[in-house]
Amino acid sequence: MKTTNRQLQKKQTKEALLRTAYEVFSERGIMNTRMSDIAQAAGVSHGTVFAHFQTQEMLITKVVETYGGKIALRTHELAGSCEHMKEILSAHLAGIMEFEPFYTRLVIENRLLAPAARDVWVSVQSSISFHFSQVAGREIQSGRSINLPTHLLFNIWVGLVHYYLANGDLFAPEGNVIKRYGETLVENYMKLIQTDHRTRGRQG
Amino acid sequence: MKTCISCGMPMTKPSDYPLADESKDYCIYCARPDGSMQSYPEKLEGTTEFLIRTQGLDKEAAHQIAIRTLSKLPAWKGKENNIE
Ligand SMILES: [Zn+2]
Repeated sequence: MKTTNRQLQKKQTKEALLRTAYEVFSERGIMNTRMSDIAQAAGVSHGTVFAHFQTQEMLITKVVETYGGKIALRTHELAGSCEHMKEILSAHLAGIMEFEPFYTRLVIENRLLAPAARDVWVSVQSSISFHFSQVAGREIQSGRSINLPTHLLFNIWVGLVHYYLANGDLFAPEGNVIKRYGETLVENYMKLIQTDHRTRGRQG
Repeated sequence: MKTCISCGMPMTKPSDYPLADESKDYCIYCARPDGSMQSYPEKLEGTTEFLIRTQGLDKEAAHQIAIRTLSKLPAWKGKENNIE
């Protein structure tokens, strides 16, 4: 089964290149990186990279699809079992934290990417907005949350988180925005949207 | 782990399936109340509505994203032709 072996090897090389590209993008930025930087980091020739991804855009799209998919899946796993808003916010941040350098690049650069990669960005947001909207609906219904349209509750939250990530060099030069500010952002967002302060005080 | 052929959602527990039927290849959110799978027009409208309701996107922008995103899923391959 020569063909199968060759196909397997090709698949493994491709996956290794995607992994390297993910790491280089995380570190130096997506649009800033050339195909030759990835070849060099992976220890292969330019030709090898081009054999797997014909253009820079195809490579970027594939990396964003692969790792965006992983982020979305992880977010879905973490947020799926959350009952309350505070839990879902923490789960959202826990998911981001596992991919923070790359996620931050997407926050900054997603608008510049090709439509296919930009669509992945929306899918990543959908993986959290799906669970967020369900929980928000319940919390508004039960009077625990102020009654704003779901998308505004969501956008106020992601706007806050993404602002800190986009400007991470100013907020956390050491490179760990979520670790340093995550809890503070959750606590204060909850203060903004909660209605029943006395109950919250008793619950600690 | 199966993922829904119609929307891509991972299906990990019985309640993710229509009528808890784990033999199905599509999820509860892609099913009609009787358990059958929603048609393409139904799913396209539902996805567009979801993006507007949960993320506040512009109606036309949401519609285009929904078309492109669904076209990548096994149930709807080739459905994007009308936007090329
Ligand atoms: Zn589905």
